[in-house]
Amino acid sequence: MKHPIVQTLLAGGTSTILHILLFLLLIFSFDMPTDIRQFGQPEVEIVQATVVDEDLVLEEMARLQEAEEKKRAAEEERQQKLDEQLEKTQDELARKEQEFLDMQERAKLDAEKLKQEAELEQQRLKELEQQRIEQEEARKQAELERQQAEQAKQKAEAERKAAEEAKQRADAERLAAEKAREEAVAKRKAEEEARRKAEEEAKRKAEEEAKRKAEEEAKRKAEEEAKRKAAEAEAKRKAAEAEAKRKAEAERLAAEKSRAEAEQALQRQLDAEAEQRKQKRIAGVLDTYGLQIQQRITRYWTKPANAEAGLLVTLEVKLIPGGDIRSVRVIKSSGSEIFDRSAENAVYKAAPMPMPSDPDAAQKIISEGIEIYFKPE
Amino acid sequence: MAPKLIRSLALMAMFFMPIQASAVLKVEITGGSDSALPIAIVPFGAEGIKAPEDITSIIRNDLESTGRFAPLDNQDLVSRPTEQSQVNFADWRLLRSEGLVIGKISSQDGENYQVQFQLFDVYRGQQLAGKRYQVPASGLRALGHQIADVIYETLTGEKGIFSTRLAFVTQITAGDGKKRFALQISDADGANPRTVLQSTQPIMSPSWGPDGNQLAYVSFENGKTEVFVQQLQSGQRKSVASFEGINSAPAWSPDGKKLALTLSRNGNPEIYVMELANGDLIRVTNNAQAIDTEAVWSRDGNEIYFTSDRGGRPQIYKVSANGGRAERISFEGNYNASPDLSPDGSKLAMVHGANGGFYIAVQDLKTGAMQVLTDSGRAESPSFAPNGQMILYATEQKGSGVLAAVSVDGRIHQRLSESGTVVREPAWSPLKK
Repeated sequence: MKHPIVQTLLAGGTSTILHILLFLLLIFSFDMPTDIRQFGQPEVEIVQATVVDEDLVLEEMARLQEAEEKKRAAEEERQQKLDEQLEKTQDELARKEQEFLDMQERAKLDAEKLKQEAELEQQRLKELEQQRIEQEEARKQAELERQQAEQAKQKAEAERKAAEEAKQRADAERLAAEKAREEAVAKRKAEEEARRKAEEEAKRKAEEEAKRKAEEEAKRKAEEEAKRKAAEAEAKRKAAEAEAKRKAEAERLAAEKSRAEAEQALQRQLDAEAEQRKQKRIAGVLDTYGLQIQQRITRYWTKPANAEAGLLVTLEVKLIPGGDIRSVRVIKSSGSEIFDRSAENAVYKAAPMPMPSDPDAAQKIISEGIEIYFKPE
Repeated sequence: MAPKLIRSLALMAMFFMPIQASAVLKVEITGGSDSALPIAIVPFGAEGIKAPEDITSIIRNDLESTGRFAPLDNQDLVSRPTEQSQVNFADWRLLRSEGLVIGKISSQDGENYQVQFQLFDVYRGQQLAGKRYQVPASGLRALGHQIADVIYETLTGEKGIFSTRLAFVTQITAGDGKKRFALQISDADGANPRTVLQSTQPIMSPSWGPDGNQLAYVSFENGKTEVFVQQLQSGQRKSVASFEGINSAPAWSPDGKKLALTLSRNGNPEIYVMELANGDLIRVTNNAQAIDTEAVWSRDGNEIYFTSDRGGRPQIYKVSANGGRAERISFEGNYNASPDLSPDGSKLAMVHGANGGFYIAVQDLKTGAMQVLTDSGRAESPSFAPNGQMILYATEQKGSGVLAAVSVDGRIHQRLSESGTVVREPAWSPLKK
């Protein structure tokens, strides 16, 4: 048994080859009329192959495509008719070739006629061919539509699947978020817990530290207090010692002092008595000296004519050892410039003053000066 | 035990008592000397010119005349400085001179003179006064008095009177035997007299107006007593009182608006006060049995001192310038007349009669004490110097009337005029205004 695909190919190729041969025939008939023989041989073999395969194709077709059997049958029928026509044509051609061979003369005469007929035939073939192409086109269109339907179906299925997947993804994300939130809460709680624990720990440690320090402080204080008390006791002891020493020293000094004072008092008494005698002597000298001064100044005082009783000027007179004037100063003015001046002039005019022969008295006069009152009576 | 304790206490007390001898020696001077103030007046340097007046002598005489100053004799001057740079004060101290006056005179033309002087306190070596003047030759004498005034005031504290004037009446007997009377004015030292009125009839009682520019006086020129007021600058004069009877003893009120007069227009000499502006009279005394005369005003112009014999003998009385009861002021002796009041109103000078003589006496109005200042026995017409330190009066010397002055304390006596003319009725001018 022959393979169905080969048969199809053979079936399809048969008509094609036939057309090509016909076309060649026409060409050679006009250009190379001398090569007629070769041209007749292949035609016979092709006709035979076609007859043998036809059944096989039909059978195959029927078996493969039962759903399109009707359409196929029509197609087959039409194909059969065409084949039959073709067979007839071929027969005709063979006969005409016979006739052509027989009647070369006539062929020439009928060439035109033939040619026209060929053209007509060609036209008819063309129409047939067109019909077939159109049928093929329709079939292809149907196929295409079927394929498109199939594709749409597949696409819908894909979309459904995508939706399904999206839904699953969303669910997954939601679950992940939920999980993350729970994890965060857990983490925070854990952290809080950790912090609380740390604080408690710190507090505990601080308390412990404070307690330790307090204990230390108490200990230190106690030690210090002990030291201080010891020092105090020591100081007291020392102070007592010092006090005792001081007292003893003071008593000794007091005794010494009273002894010295007694001596000094005695000395002072002696000195005082001597001083008293001296002052008494000086006072006596000065009494006399005052009278001398008074007389001398009185002699030199030119009392202003208008000097009235009640005027009083006080002068401080300082002398140098020879009795000359060191300075004359108005201690208290009389209020009258002229009266004051007369008094000062009296002192100047009386210089040099007499000096006491007693050196103590003279020294006293020089160091302390003389106060002189001018008061007219 | 007890005596020892007492002795210890006494000693202790002594320690605490100030030693008596620590006080300064104190000397009291009450006596003093009444002698004049020693002063050195060095003749002024004349720088090659011969000045017409000896200014140094004028100054020296003025100061010496008061009795308050004892100028060194020229031969005692240790040096003759004319400028301060030439003065060695120690020299002057040795002389016990309290003041030193030096000066210079110069002139380019003999007409105008430049004069300068300085007064030093010798003991302090300080200048007390110093001035420079420019005067014509005719002013040199007055300038000498002016400088003496400055020195006097600087050293005594009182106004100098050397530039004041005296008014007095002179009487001469001419060759024909007729008497000539003259009212004259001189410098305070009696020098430089000039006549303001001449008459063949007596002139009496000149009295200075308080401004020093006019005189009131009594003139007999019209055959009877008559009171005139004369302007000294112009010589113009005016009869202010020529009433019936006596018109005498004019005295200016302190404000110069009134004249006290003795008038007998009503029969008996009484004291009147005339308003000079209109001649209105107020009769101040009214005592027909007595003579009331010689009025003098109190310093406030409210009272009048006068002489009256209403008590039988002349005494000084005081009465309100508006009249009323008079009060006797003088009681010493049985004759007190011709009163003059000191410029400060504290003393009354008067002629005091005693033992047949007449003396100048001064009575302290506060205490009533009277002191007789003169001893010549012929003194009259006392008149206070305007500084109250001297009293000018007239007296007789060798039968001739002369002017003299005495200090209010009676220590200083001066003769102001030479004999030869009779000089009477003196009056000391007020200070120059």
